[in-house]
Amino acid sequence: MRSKLQSLPLSYKISGIYIIANLFIFIVDIVLLMGINALSVDMEMTYQDNRRLNELLLSLDSVQDAMTGYLNSKTTDSLSDYYISEQRYAELTGELGTQITDRPYGRMERNIKNMSVDYLDDVSQTIEAKRGRNVEKYRVHYEEATRLYEYIKTYIRSLNEEQFVTNSQMYTSLARDFRIFEFFAVAVMFVVLLGSAYIIIRVTGALIDPLRQLSESADEVSNGNLDATLPKSRYNDEIGKLTLAFGKMMVSIKEYIERIRMSMEKERAMQEKELMMETHLKDAQLKYLQAQINPHFLFNTLNAGAQLAMMEGADRTYEYVQTVADFFRYNVKKQDELVNIEDEVELVDNYIRILNVRFSGDIHYEKQVDERLLHTKMPSMILQPIVENAVNHGIREMGDKGQIRLKVFRDLNSVCISVRDNGKGMSREDIEKVVGGKWKYEEQTGDSNGIGMDNVIARLRLFGERDDVIRIRSDGQDKGTEVVIYLPL
Amino acid sequence: MDNKNESNLNAHQRPRAAGIIIPTVIFALAILTVGVLLYRFYMVRSGQDHDDNTYDRYYVMITDDIKSSFWQSVYSGALKTAQEKNVFVELLGSNLSYDYTCEELMEIAVSSHVDGIMVYGGDPERMTELIDDAANAGIPVVTMYSDNPNSRRCSFVGVSGYNMGREYGRQVLNVLSDKRRLSYSGRSTDADVELSVGITVLVDMKMPSYDQNVIMSGLKDSLTWENTDIEYAIQTVAVDNSNPFSVEESIRDVFMEEDIPDILICLNELDTTCAYQAAIDYNKVGSVYILGYYDSDKIINAINRNVVFSSLAIDTEEMGSFCIEALEEYNESGNTSQYFTADITLIDKNNVSDFIAREEEDDAK
Repeated sequence: MRSKLQSLPLSYKISGIYIIANLFIFIVDIVLLMGINALSVDMEMTYQDNRRLNELLLSLDSVQDAMTGYLNSKTTDSLSDYYISEQRYAELTGELGTQITDRPYGRMERNIKNMSVDYLDDVSQTIEAKRGRNVEKYRVHYEEATRLYEYIKTYIRSLNEEQFVTNSQMYTSLARDFRIFEFFAVAVMFVVLLGSAYIIIRVTGALIDPLRQLSESADEVSNGNLDATLPKSRYNDEIGKLTLAFGKMMVSIKEYIERIRMSMEKERAMQEKELMMETHLKDAQLKYLQAQINPHFLFNTLNAGAQLAMMEGADRTYEYVQTVADFFRYNVKKQDELVNIEDEVELVDNYIRILNVRFSGDIHYEKQVDERLLHTKMPSMILQPIVENAVNHGIREMGDKGQIRLKVFRDLNSVCISVRDNGKGMSREDIEKVVGGKWKYEEQTGDSNGIGMDNVIARLRLFGERDDVIRIRSDGQDKGTEVVIYLPL
Repeated sequence: MDNKNESNLNAHQRPRAAGIIIPTVIFALAILTVGVLLYRFYMVRSGQDHDDNTYDRYYVMITDDIKSSFWQSVYSGALKTAQEKNVFVELLGSNLSYDYTCEELMEIAVSSHVDGIMVYGGDPERMTELIDDAANAGIPVVTMYSDNPNSRRCSFVGVSGYNMGREYGRQVLNVLSDKRRLSYSGRSTDADVELSVGITVLVDMKMPSYDQNVIMSGLKDSLTWENTDIEYAIQTVAVDNSNPFSVEESIRDVFMEEDIPDILICLNELDTTCAYQAAIDYNKVGSVYILGYYDSDKIINAINRNVVFSSLAIDTEEMGSFCIEALEEYNESGNTSQYFTADITLIDKNNVSDFIAREEEDDAK
């Protein structure tokens, strides 16, 4: 029942309250009207007795007039008038009371009734005597009747006056009652008015309250507080549905904003990564350019030297110069794009070849490459700095016993490139420093192309989108070092 | 989860809904209850007016002056006795707008078929006829105060005229002794006090001559038997009461004559009142001794102030009561005693304080 009431539409509820309030006022009005009606009926009845007596007096007059008329003219009209009025008067006097009470009315009525009997008797005897032309007799009866007529008349008038006085008193008291009732009615109406106004205000207030709370919440939301507390919906009416819908809307707005925020964050991270890649590359290039002032001029010059060596028949010189030229060309060409592993491996080959010419073939270079992986993409200028480190810090002082072993193989989902030397090895602290990017290089040597391990590692991490892109392993002092890089497949 | 939420909400809402509905219901009920109570109160009050006693028989009292306190007193005595017997007595004419004579009231009473009539008789022939008419119609008639011995009245209730006369005679002697006392003490200049005394008796014109004669003989007997050495001259003055106000004029005439009587005897209440007022107005207090009648407030005050020498009071209530008893007896048994005599009391300087006290008692009531 209650839930049924609660799920009524708002318009039904509001009009229901107004109808009930009006109905209440209507009922009170009806009750008051009934009271007023009862009072006015009483007031009407107040002078009822006086009206009755007036009627009696008129009837008595008409009997007397009819008798006099008949005595005067003896017409049949006056005779029939007499019969009619006599009948009427007898009826009216028959209604009079005969009780003897403390109050004079009853006794007076009784006397009027008794005298009227005598009077009518005298009148009829008068008429009879007149018809019989008994002049003496009808005169006597006429006088008798007239005397009684006067007495009755006086009685009726006196009774009328008595009753008028009493009735006037009653009327006054009724009128006073009426005034009191009027005041009471106005007071009641006023109280009813206040009461129904109070009830309407309370009930509509209770109905509208959720709407007010909702609007407050909406205000708060519009001021930017998405976490504003939402009102609980009490009723299942329009306001309840609105509140519910508002709540749902708020939740989905929050979700939507969260999604947008996440995607923006992702985009920003991507941009940052790209920017970092570019920065590191630029850094590498800058370092390279510092080292190689004019590579084009250099390898053109080298090419000229190579041609000269060929013309002079010095094949090995030719080959060496050619290698050096290729090495530098690679640096110029492939600096800002992803390259195949093959290109990097070839660069390492060239680098080793150059070194072997410089150090008269002291470095034993072995490579073990899975041919299927050679076309895998990777950032440029990665392997050569690693090999360069292995040579410079690992095997430089070993003479012809230095070994470099390059291995390209597949391990689960990664392509691994391992550069291993049999040189000095590294301490655990140094390894951690290098991997953590905290290694401070000493004064740049002329043999370096200037790209540090920190740069290499940072670029690999950006490319692989993970941290463990490099692993450095050393079994200890003079037991060599292995650097493995992991590339995504 | 939804159901749980809803029941929680209902629990929150219930006290609030009750907070509106309960006052509404109480308010509506209170308004309706007050209204119904007021309405019932009104109905009960308006219904109260109709509790009247009803009586078995209806007697009427007919007098020549319904307003005099004498007749009012007689009436109240009659009413008191009548109501004990569940009979109502009406002072006929008191509710009528026209002042009828005793004869006309008799006619009205007869044609109203009352159960009994008490009438201030007198002895005009017309009254005799009317009393006979009533008797013919089966209505018993009692004459009061003044008899109509020739009629068929069933009883007479009055005072003994002879006794009244004797009492007045004794008062005349008292007046004389009073005058003598004053002259001996030198306070009176009246030289011929003892030689002769003029007595005027004011007689109602309507008073039957029979009654007058009885009173006069009583008066004379007193003066003759008890003191023979005074000379007195008794004259009667007929007071004209045929017109309203004529009584007062007649009495003033007495005071305007050259020979003003020494003693003025009044035989009814109105005469007494008029006489003492005239004595005051003509500055005759002390020289005219008024012997009054009845014990109305005015007369008692006059005695107290020495304007009236003394007054005879009839036990009026007893008279009224006797009338009812006579009628009741007649109605029950068909006949009754022919005469009822009411007591006479003398009021003078000696006992007037008792009457004043009684008066005050009555006023207090």
